[in-house]
Amino acid sequence: MSNVVLKMEHIVKEFPGVRALDDVNFEARSGEVLALMGENGAGKSTLMKVLGGVWPYPSYQGDIFIKGEKRRFHSTREAMDAGIAIIHQELNLIPELSVAENIFLDRQPTNSFGAIDWHQMNADAGTLLAELGLSDVRPTDQVKHIAVGKQQMVEIAKALSKRAQILILDEPTSALTDKEVTELFRVIRGLRESGVCLCYISHKMEEIAQVADRVVVLRDGRTIGEPTAISEITLDQIIARMVGRELKEMYPTGLRQRGERILEIRNLSVDHPSLPGEYKVTDASFSAYRGEILGLCGLMGSGRTTLVSAIFGAFPQATHGEVLVEGEKADIRSPADALRLGISLLTEDRKALGLFQDQPITFNTTISSLQTISSPIGVIDISRERSVTKEYIAQLNVKASSTDAIVGTLSGGNQQKILFARWLNASPKIFILDEPTRGIDIGAKVEIHKLLNALAEQGVAIIVISSELEEVLGMSDRILVMNEGRIVSEFTRAEASREAIMEWATGARRMET
Amino acid sequence: MHRNGAIQFIKTNATLIALVVLTVALALADPTFPTARNLSNVARQVTIVGIIGVGMTMVILIAGIDLSVGSVVGVAAVVVTLLMQYGLAAWLAVPVTLAIVGGFIGLWNGFWIAHYRIPPFIITLGMLTIGRGVALSLSSGSSIPVADPSFAFLGSAYIPPVPTLVLLALAALAVLYALAKTWRESRKAGLPHFERDLPGIVATAVGLLLAVYVFGRGDGLPVPVAIFVVIAALAIFVLGHTRFGRRLYALGGNEEAARLSGIDVYGTKIIVYVTVSLLSALSGILLASRLNGASPNLGTMFELDAIAAVVIGGTSLAGGSGTIGGTIIGALIIGVLNNGMSLLGVSSFYQLIIKGLIISLAVWFDVLQKKNWAD
Repeated sequence: MSNVVLKMEHIVKEFPGVRALDDVNFEARSGEVLALMGENGAGKSTLMKVLGGVWPYPSYQGDIFIKGEKRRFHSTREAMDAGIAIIHQELNLIPELSVAENIFLDRQPTNSFGAIDWHQMNADAGTLLAELGLSDVRPTDQVKHIAVGKQQMVEIAKALSKRAQILILDEPTSALTDKEVTELFRVIRGLRESGVCLCYISHKMEEIAQVADRVVVLRDGRTIGEPTAISEITLDQIIARMVGRELKEMYPTGLRQRGERILEIRNLSVDHPSLPGEYKVTDASFSAYRGEILGLCGLMGSGRTTLVSAIFGAFPQATHGEVLVEGEKADIRSPADALRLGISLLTEDRKALGLFQDQPITFNTTISSLQTISSPIGVIDISRERSVTKEYIAQLNVKASSTDAIVGTLSGGNQQKILFARWLNASPKIFILDEPTRGIDIGAKVEIHKLLNALAEQGVAIIVISSELEEVLGMSDRILVMNEGRIVSEFTRAEASREAIMEWATGARRMET
Repeated sequence: MHRNGAIQFIKTNATLIALVVLTVALALADPTFPTARNLSNVARQVTIVGIIGVGMTMVILIAGIDLSVGSVVGVAAVVVTLLMQYGLAAWLAVPVTLAIVGGFIGLWNGFWIAHYRIPPFIITLGMLTIGRGVALSLSSGSSIPVADPSFAFLGSAYIPPVPTLVLLALAALAVLYALAKTWRESRKAGLPHFERDLPGIVATAVGLLLAVYVFGRGDGLPVPVAIFVVIAALAIFVLGHTRFGRRLYALGGNEEAARLSGIDVYGTKIIVYVTVSLLSALSGILLASRLNGASPNLGTMFELDAIAAVVIGGTSLAGGSGTIGGTIIGALIIGVLNNGMSLLGVSSFYQLIIKGLIISLAVWFDVLQKKNWAD
């Protein structure tokens, strides 16, 4: 077709140890909304970063054509100048500045003295906002005083002011209310009419059905099938494209027996940190048993991490509901309390929430269980600390020069194993793991799977969150699915299938209320 | 390879080298500098900033700051002398002052910082002003003489040469024991130790020999210096070998990770801010004892010297890395510089400029090193 504005051919992008994009091909037309779908980690965001110049030209292979012309972007600036604008999940606005100042940041119109022409700038901003049909936002409003949905509109106005021809929206509705979503869709349709090409990244099925013209699916860094008109494909077919992978022999299955109930969560809710009256987790109830691996699935933002962090005492003020450990009501007001009750939480983001990068392996291994290597008055026995650490290094097959190697110098997989060692050394009865295998190589993954099986056989209750459906399916005895802060369904290992889980996780199926 | 080793050596031991170069240069420039009497004086001057610096190191380790230390010195000096004026004996006035001045101000600072997450810079800046105001109003703006003659012991007395030599010998034995233990452990863990520890060992040995030279005759070892040494040794032990020390490094390195590792962030912060205030109050008491009276302006700008000592000593203002040993070297550099410049007749105006430049250099060097690490 002649109105193809964007074409990507054979795009390959590699990170150390991972091929994030592996021969991606697709084209997008002006005046259409192309939905880009895929599981977490399928490569959607990486692809958009290649297009937006975040990963500059020589760092990827393949060709990008804009309006038939081959382009190589060395910076985000060049991509922007070529008419590409990306609206990220995290908005890039400066909260203290006004709407107009944000729209024209660093490109403010000036008068003949070189000073900012405020009148002109506000007028221009007003015109843009009017084009988007935003009557209730004034150019002079401070961005921090307007709702998130409106802030997103400001981002779109900013993109339009740069005459963007290709607008990429990365999970734009994740922070919006239903009303704001409707408003956003209205604007998207308007832009489509005026000939803009919109790439809409999402994994929410119903949104795709509402707003997209065509859909293209990414899986394991590849495009699966051709972009297909939304009228010619069913939701089931899209899900099949997103998940359709054979289970590899990565999941050793141990013979284990489910023991007694050790953890019971009753009606747990967690307040939304910035929206009063809204919840990040709503009314979650479930139980965990000794010797069982419980999988917790859901898309990003579904509340998985919030739920387990709340159980671990990370948000004592915002958490409501009851937690029972071994049948007794537990008052967990801090992670320290949780640890005392035998709960360990391996956090999702090992860099920001887990490791002390500048400290040695010993420090990182023992920080949560210092009482095991010190005298009652708190004097640390350094040689005991080293020997404990040494055992873990051997047991978990960590590659490091010595027990005193600085953790920041280790590879991702080895860092993850050190974090593992930390929580193992706390001898948990309930071990919660949030994305335990993210960003590590297959070998380390298999080792971690084996370890979790061994722990379950020893009678530890294990709760695993993973964005990789395959992993959850391969490991878990039982699976809970979350969607929009609620636990929406539960499967046994035998009942579970990728398709069924995806239906619940994406909200394609809902609970009868 | 060899050249890289040398550069690495200079980099990791820059402050120590700076101290040695400075000392040797001053000894060559002015014959009175290296006399035992003068060096004893330097040691005593370093004591005050050094004691505060120990506390400040802990605060900066947890990525905090305490600007109120100088005012705490002033309040403590005024309160301890006033209590004696009211007839309290010195041995009672000292602990009471530590508790009500050091303890209370530390709790106040720590509470706001830990509970309401107010930036330490702001809350302690407020306390800097409040404290000075309190010192001025309690003393009605004038100096207070010391009423109990036994109070002078703390700041002005000496441990005579013979017991001093015995103490130094004991200290040397303790250091040797600690070294032997570390080496045994390092060897067991298969770690390189000798090269890494060498500069520290040489510095300690030279320090002990110097101590014998300076304090082993004449009047002996000044009591405040002895107090400082004990406090510093304790702090080195606490930071390197206790659970509490670990918590500080964890907290400063990554507060959220520390919390999620089960560390009591709240309690740890309170303890740290109380500790620095207690040590500052102690400094104020020592100073009042030494001067045989208190002026409400005592301790003005001490916070800057203490922070400078910590920063020159290589503790990162971002938190998570630093040592007491470094701070001691930093305090010595400042002390030696002050003393040497005065001996050489450098105008006190220029002294300020030079001190400021050295602080800037130290921070620049720290940034450079960080950058290399990141590359």
